[in-house]
Formats: sequence, C-alpha cells, structure tokens
Amino acid sequence: MAEQSDEMLVESSRAGDLAAFKILVLRHEGKVAGVVRSMLGVTPEAEDVGQEVFIRFYEALRKFRGDSSVGTYLTRIAINLSLNEIKRRKRRFSIFSNEEEGWHKGETDDRKDMNEMITYEFNRLEPDFRSVATLRLVEGYTTEETATILGIPFGTVLSRLARAQKKLRTALEVHLK
Amino acid sequence: MEQKNEDLFLQSLDGNLSEEQRNVLLNSAMDSRFKKRTDQFIKIRSMLIRKEEDSFGPFFAERVVNRIKSMKKEIDYQLLFFFKKYQLAAIGVIVALLALNIIFSDHLTVKSVLGFEDEQNDNLVTIDLYQDLTE
Repeated sequence: MAEQSDEMLVESSRAGDLAAFKILVLRHEGKVAGVVRSMLGVTPEAEDVGQEVFIRFYEALRKFRGDSSVGTYLTRIAINLSLNEIKRRKRRFSIFSNEEEGWHKGETDDRKDMNEMITYEFNRLEPDFRSVATLRLVEGYTTEETATILGIPFGTVLSRLARAQKKLRTALEVHLK
Repeated sequence: MEQKNEDLFLQSLDGNLSEEQRNVLLNSAMDSRFKKRTDQFIKIRSMLIRKEEDSFGPFFAERVVNRIKSMKKEIDYQLLFFFKKYQLAAIGVIVALLALNIIFSDHLTVKSVLGFEDEQNDNLVTIDLYQDLTE
C-alpha cells in the first residue's frame, strides 16, 4: 500500500480505511511539521496543531476534489491553523502580561549561534510576513505557488517577502558580515 | 526604482526572468549597496531553507489515527445516545400496549397478552358447519 499514489490513498481513506490514511500522514508529516514549526517554533503546541491539520484533512476528505495536491492542501491548512494559534497566543499573552516579549529578552545576549539568531528574528516577523517567508524561503515554494496557497496576489507575496527580508537583514546586519 | 529591482531580485529566485529583466538585474548588481543587500539575503535564505525532513517525533501518525478512532467512537456514542431516547420511548409504548391487553382481555393467555385473538378451534368448526347447513 505504501507505493500507492496520494490520490489512491485518499480514495481508500474516504472509504474508511485508516491504514491508508496513516500512510498519508507518514508521507506528509515532514512538510506539515516544517511549516507549523517554522510558524510557531518548536513548541508543545506545534504538535497539537500538526495533529489538528491531519484531522481537519480527514474530516474534509469528502470535499477534497484533488484540484491541488495533497501536500499543497495540507500546507494551506497548516498555515491557517498556525495563524489561528498565533492569534490565540497573542490574546493569551495580552491578558497575562507581556510574557512573550520577556521570554525572548534574556536569551538574546547569550545567543551565539547564527541559526538560532535567525530563527529568533524569523519568529518575530509579523504572522502575515512569516507565512510568506515560511513558504517561500523555508519550504522553497515558488512565488506563484505561495500566492496560490495563501490566496493572495502575486505582487503581495513579493512585497511581503521584500519587507520580511528587510526586517531580517536589518536585525541581523551586524552578524552577517 | 530600488523597489522594482528588489522585486526583480526576488522573482529571480524562482528562476524565470526574461532576458531583459535579467539584464536590468545584472546592471543593478553593479551598485555595491544593492549587491550587499542581495548577498545578505541569500545568506539568510540559505540558512533558513529546510535541509532535512522535519518530524513531530516518533509515533506521530499513530497518535493522529488514535485521535480519529476516538473521535469516531465519540460520534458512535452520541448516535447511540440519540437513538436510546427513541428506544426507551418504543419500549414504553410496548409495555403500555401489553398492559392494556392484560386489562381488557377476558382471560390471561400469552396470545391474549400479545394482542392476538384467542380463537377456539371448536368455534371455527361450528362456523364451518353452520356455513354448510345454509348452502
């Protein structure tokens, strides 16, 4: 069954075959994990969101017409659920003080590793910029594909990407020499 | 102009610039400030791009499938609970009918309690005989 195409596995899953669905999960876990962790960081909520992505997909199997690939469809769900989670976090942190900002503050001075610094600055991007940067820079989707997944115009992807890269460059300028 | 060149540079990462656009970009690269910015961005990009397959840890797929199974059980239970109300109502009606049959029947037999006519074979024969006589 492992060598079956995504379309065949979707068909079997629709008929209630959970073993087929499990193969789909195994096949696309990497992509979903990459997107969710890039958006939310390596946090305990990231796995919850990851599980939710596949459950939403399972519930939507009947509606899935295959206009886009399973990977693209899952990426879209992953981005949307991650954005929801970021909104939820913001609400939580605005209620319980400025905890999020404080959590990062102590770390910046000690952070030596360039990758960690980039990740840190990346996570500080506004969610709309982060979603574009995640798809375009981390996952390697083209500008056109990024626009399709996010449902925004091609030009908007370019402008958000330009602003995201400017913010990253400015924040990391000293370390990029 | 600067923004246009930045957009061109970002588009160039998709690898589908026209000859004319490529020339514009190459000319822009003569500007050391622009060159520095693009070099910095390429460095950031190379560090951000996912190099290895990410994962939520071992048995993630099993956890997802188990959640779906438990969701299904929950739905089954809700359906069972929904129909249970109707089952109880149906049982109530049956008990009431049995009780009525017991109250209104002249004699208590299993057939009468269940609402079947308790025909006597003798009576049936009598009717048949009567029918023969009238012919």
